[in-house]
This record gives sequence, C-alpha cells and structure tokens, in this order.
Amino acid sequence: MKKLVGILLLGLIMIFATACSNSSTGNKENGGKFEPKKAIEITAPAGAGGGWDTTARMAAKIFNDEKIINQNIGVVNKPGGGGAVGWAYIHSQKDPYHLFVASPPLLLVPLNGQSKYDYKDFTPIANLIADYGAFVVRADAKWNNLNDLFEDMKKDPSSITVVGASSPGSMDHIQFVKVAKAAGVDIKKIKYVSDQDGGALTDLLNGSADVYSTGIAESVEQVKAGKVKVLGITADKRLEGDVISDFPTAKEQGIDATFVNWRGFFGPPNMDPAALKYYEQKFKELNDSKAWADIRMKNGWNEYFMGHDEYIKFLDQENKSMKALLDELGLAK
Amino acid sequence: MDAIHGLLTGFQVALSIQGLLFVFIGVAVGTIIGMIPGLGPITAIAVMIPITYGMSPAIALLLMAGVYYGAAYGGSASSILLNAPGVSESVATTFDGYPLAKQGKAGKALAVAAIGSFIGGTISIILLTFLAPFLSKIAISFGPPEYFALMLLGLTALASLSDGSTIKSLISATIGFMFATVGIDAQTGTPRFTFGNIHLLQGIDFLIIALGLFALAEVASLILNRNEKAIDQSKIGSLKLTKKEYKEVAGTIGRQSLLGFLIGVLPGAGGTIASFLAYLSEKRLSKHPEEFGKGSLRGVAAPETANNAASSGAFVPLLSLGIPGSGSTAVMLGALIVLGVQPGPLLVNEHPDIFWGVIASMYIGNIILLILNLPLIPYISKVLKISKPLLISLIIVFCIIGVYGVSFNVFDLYLLIGFGILGFVMRLIDFPAAPFILAFILGGMMEQSLRQSLTISNGSISIFFTSPVALVFIILSFLSFLIPVIQIIRRNNRANSAISKGA
Repeated sequence: MKKLVGILLLGLIMIFATACSNSSTGNKENGGKFEPKKAIEITAPAGAGGGWDTTARMAAKIFNDEKIINQNIGVVNKPGGGGAVGWAYIHSQKDPYHLFVASPPLLLVPLNGQSKYDYKDFTPIANLIADYGAFVVRADAKWNNLNDLFEDMKKDPSSITVVGASSPGSMDHIQFVKVAKAAGVDIKKIKYVSDQDGGALTDLLNGSADVYSTGIAESVEQVKAGKVKVLGITADKRLEGDVISDFPTAKEQGIDATFVNWRGFFGPPNMDPAALKYYEQKFKELNDSKAWADIRMKNGWNEYFMGHDEYIKFLDQENKSMKALLDELGLAK
Repeated sequence: MDAIHGLLTGFQVALSIQGLLFVFIGVAVGTIIGMIPGLGPITAIAVMIPITYGMSPAIALLLMAGVYYGAAYGGSASSILLNAPGVSESVATTFDGYPLAKQGKAGKALAVAAIGSFIGGTISIILLTFLAPFLSKIAISFGPPEYFALMLLGLTALASLSDGSTIKSLISATIGFMFATVGIDAQTGTPRFTFGNIHLLQGIDFLIIALGLFALAEVASLILNRNEKAIDQSKIGSLKLTKKEYKEVAGTIGRQSLLGFLIGVLPGAGGTIASFLAYLSEKRLSKHPEEFGKGSLRGVAAPETANNAASSGAFVPLLSLGIPGSGSTAVMLGALIVLGVQPGPLLVNEHPDIFWGVIASMYIGNIILLILNLPLIPYISKVLKISKPLLISLIIVFCIIGVYGVSFNVFDLYLLIGFGILGFVMRLIDFPAAPFILAFILGGMMEQSLRQSLTISNGSISIFFTSPVALVFIILSFLSFLIPVIQIIRRNNRANSAISKGA
C-alpha cells in the first residue's frame, strides 16, 4: 500500500511540476534593454518526439549548455489540432518569456481553416533551419526523372497514386502539388492518399502507391539499400552529403519550383521591441555556435538563418504561394 | 548460422556491465510507466532522449526498447485491479481481469498476465532472431486493402463479444464507430464533428474513452451499490495456478504469442490492436465463449501475451527496414538519428552491434521483467484491501491523472466525465461497452484503409478481391459472420422439432 501511494504521489508530483512550469506572471520591463529575469518557456505545439519537439529541446539545450542565455529554458508540449492548441495557448501569453517553434503548418493549418490564429498573430523572431521535400519512387519504377513522371500524370492522372504521411492540404501534399503545378500537371486530378505511422513508405514499397512525397532524410537509407530512387528534391540547388548530393533538384530538371520546410522561433503577439531584439541576437549567436552546427549535422538539418525583418517578408511570400495552391485545390477556407 | 553468430555479437553488448545496467533501468522504468497513469511509453521514451546523449547508439536503443516493452508488461496491474487501464495496450485486459479480481482471484490474473507477457515476449524474440529478414517481407506486404480486410475480420467478431442482446451490441458498436470519425479526416483534411473546437481536431484519445467507459462507470456502480456487501473483493487469492488452469492458458499463450507477433510486425497495427484481436480470436476458439467477460483466465492471457509479443514484433520493420510502425518506434528512430545512426535496410550490415544488441537485450529484459514482477504481485494487489470509499477516490484520481497527463488539457477531463456518464448509463440499460471500444479502435483504421484502397483503385472494389491476402480475410469474415447465424437457425429448428415432438 505504501508503495502504491508512493508511486501515485510521484506521478502527481511529476504532473504538478509540469503544470507549474506553465504558470508565470506578467513582468513589465523598464524600456530600452531587455534581459530575461526568469525562466523562459519554449512551446512545441505537438507531442514529445516530433520535429518541433526535437528542435525546441535541442535549441533549449544549446542555449543553456553554451551559456548563450543564462536563464533556464524549459520546453513544454501542447499537442492538438496540428498545432492549433499550442498557438491558442501562446496567443493568450502576454509576457516575452513564452516562445514557440514553428514551420510551414503555421501557414497551412490556418489556411485550411483549422486555427483562428495565423502567423500574423505572432511575432516572428528568427528562422534557423530548413529541410526540403523529396519525391521518391521504387527502384524498379519506369520513371527516371520528374519530367517522365509528370508527363504520365498529365496523360492519365488516375493511374498514379501519390502517398504522404499527412492529410491533404498539409506539407507532404502541398510540396508535391507545388512542383507538379509548375510542371503543368492539373493538380486537382492528383490522386493523393495519406497514411500515418510508417504506412506511407510501406505503401510505396509494396506497390500500393507509386510516388512517396517525404523529406530528404527519410529517403537516404532506402536509396542506399537500393529499394527506392529519388526523382527530385524541392531545394533551390543540390545539397551536400553522401548520396544526398546525387539527388537532382526539380529546378535543374527545368521545373521552376522549390519548397522549403523552414523551422524557426516565434514569440507572443506584439512582443516588446527590446525583447524581440534580445532574442533575435541570441538566436543569431545560437546559429553561429559550433555546438548548434553539430546538432544540425547530426539531424541532417540545413542552415537557413533569417532575422525578424527578412523572416516576415519570407513568410508573407510563402503564405501567398500556399494560399494560391489551396485555393486552386478548393481546400482553403 | 548467421543468426547465431549475430546473437553472440549481440550478447557481447547486452551482457556488458553497461548493457545489463541499462536494460534493467529500461524495463524497471517501463514497468512503472505501465502501472501509473498519464505517462505512456512515447512520452517516457521522448523524455529519455537527452539521457542518451553520449551513449553508444546500441546501449541507447536497448534502454528505450526496455521502456517500450516494459510498459506493455506493467500495464496489466491497474487494468486488473482497478478496471482502469494505464496504457491503451492493456485496455482489453480489463474485460476479464477485473471480473477475476472481483471474484477474489486477482493473484491468479496477475500471475497469468506476467507469465503470458514473459512467454509472449520470449517467443516473439526468438522469431525475431531467426526470421527477421523473412519477416520484413511480411511487414511490407500489407497495403490498405489488406488492412481493411483484417479489420473487417476483427469486427465480425463483434457479435460474439456480448452474450446479451446482439442488437444492443450492434448499437453500442455503431456509436463507437461514430466517435472514431471525430477529428480531421486524414483523406480529405476536413474536420468532422469537431463543432469548431480545436481540442477535437485530432480526434478523441482512446485512453479517455476506455477510462470513462470502464473505470468511471465502475466507480459510479460502486457508489450506487455501496451498501451491498462485496463478495469478498478484498481477497487476492493464490498466485499459483492449478494444473488444469495451466493447461487452459497454455494453448492461448502459444497461439497469441504468434498472432500478437505477426500483428506487431505490421506497421501501423501495433500492440493495442493485437490485444483486441487476440481477445476476440480466443473467444471465438473457446468451447465456452460465455465465460469470457466474466472472469476467464484465457481472457487475460490472450491480450497480455499478444501485446508483449507485438512490442517485439514492432522491431522488425524498425530494425530491418527503417520503418517505424508506431509512435513509440518513431521516437526511437528519431533518437537514433540524433546519435548519428540512420536506421534503414542496411542497419544489420552496417551496425550489427545495434541490431543484434537490442535483440539480445530483449531476452535478458524479459527475464528481468518476470523476476521483477512476480514477487511484486502480492504487494500491488494490496490495493484491493483498501476500504471502498478510499478505493473509489483512488480510481477517480487515477483516471484524472491518466487523462490530464497525456495532453495537459482540461478539455480532455470534460470528455472523460462525459464518457464516464455515458458508460454508466449504458450499464444501467444493459448496453455492453466492449463493442463500443472495439469499434472505436478498429473502426478508425478500417475507414481510412477502405478509403485509401478506393482512392488507389479509382473507386473499384475489385481491389479487395485481387489481393490474395485480402481475399482470404474477406472469406474468413463472411464465414465468421455466417456460422453463428447458421448455428442459431439450427438451434431454433432443433428446438422447434423438440417442441413438436413434445406436443
């Protein structure tokens, strides 16, 4: 009995510890310079273990390990609604001690009508890294480049199934649609199937699907093993790395389209300019640190730093391009 | 020969002092996580990732693997003792585990769960050791049509899940289906039945429904019947099984080790689905299906064996193909990438120490789990000796932590209470909850795979008949649907003729 109570108490303590780290009081800064006076919290608007969560935890770790920021930085997970629950939480925060990590879903989810807050409701601080999409087919597929594939898609769109891990209107779908559109394919006729938990790659390998729209890192090992080939990637120019440097871009195949899976950090609405400046500077230091370069390499992330002003311009442009695609697909709300 | 050689390499890793230490830590943490609510294996593994920095990847993976299969092991205790499953893999264990505890046979139920878990885990590791290359072909052989047919087969067992009114179980299942559709539809991206509430966009967590329908509904009944003298509920009973009981569960454990493993191998199915299909198939095979749901040892052995077998099976696609079949294995894959290892089809050649180290560690981990768990049973079961008011409060606290700990979201607590009320009302009017749960867990996957199949085939249902695997499952579904109907007709005929003879 005592043991069980002990276990339960332990559970309770763990939960309260997490709950308490959420609460913080408003703290007015006296103009001019900003210096954090208490612990900073970074929200990953998803469960533990995903891309947002990893980025947030790595950044928090390097900030503290390298003493770039001397206050404790904690990461909290706010899963739900593809990010919408986390964004609603950040939107209710008024002090500059709440940051969150974001990527293209911050544009796509609101455009699909699933979040009432979009990127304009928050303060972009800095972008740090980028990843790119890869379009993968089985090693024995008849297509050897994107143009072969898109020619067949133009002739008979119903004969080719594209699979991705997320639902229509989200990243895996849109990155494919964007490139296909630039190649002249009628994007409304693309057959797209979504399959979670490793199901998408399985569907490609067993022949249920023909094309797998995914990230570059997910393709490398399968290419090495000779199971699949990469027809094209969505980066601007070829990337460096074993095997990766062999992946042709869509651009070099004459298709003028790119898709960046950017990842950066945002603050609450109308962040105090002094605080914004402070964080922008700190993220720049993080980006330039050797420890972060190491993390980038290990995770296969590409450096893609943008400060606040550049970030806003980039986001406006990306949002316009995403909206046009979703409008054409009839998915935008 | 290769496998033996590989296994020896693996044991060099697993039997090193570091290896043994971290296997032990992994399975001990896993057991605790399985027992206490709120912390699922995914969260636990994700939290452990920072600890693994600087470890060798093989040691890191055997630690995380230990947490993973340890959680499936530990999950049975709260299901059996409190009717409140701590992880979704042990929801099916409540069906017979809790009735057994009520009859004063908690000790036996927990012992069967521990033994079933051990044997299921061990048999599946042996299969993993010797058949991994071959099994990886099975792992990718299932596309959407095959999954649909498998889920259909599982659902045809619905009728057999309740002994009362078939109509009532069908209604209950239909409601379960309806709840499975809540959230963003993966095939169109459209939110369904979310009423503009962002908390419903990702659907309703399985554990919330299970805790509401089973644990909270049980609490309500306990309060309602508080004046009735319990039939010696506080008795734990002996841990030892009689010879007859050993015989009874031996076949079940053997069969479900195999079935659970095979389902675990399939990416996307996982331990929860394995435990449900195990329960249903055992009930189907039993000569006394009426005992299931009322405290059958086989009803505990089946899901507990299968969920452990499935957790080893899940390593087949991860280790031999680099495909994570579930949320937990996806997190492990992410952790390995951070340590500089990208799992893929070449893992066994490039990093034999990781591949075989993990497999070898699972043999050891399973033995540690058995040694750790069996002696704990009498202590854990003392929870039943608590007085009723305290026990009731304990279950309520357990449920609330369990739900809040998953999402840190108050809305989920309202859902929990809602399902608790629904579960209680269903009990009052004699609607079984099991078909609801089953339809929820299988129905979601069945709907998605049906629509994926039809998109791929451009709307033609021939896709289900051109795949041999799917065809076999569909024929079996029809048979399993028709046989009870034929039996009923026969029985009626016999009864009629008996009446006419009597007249």
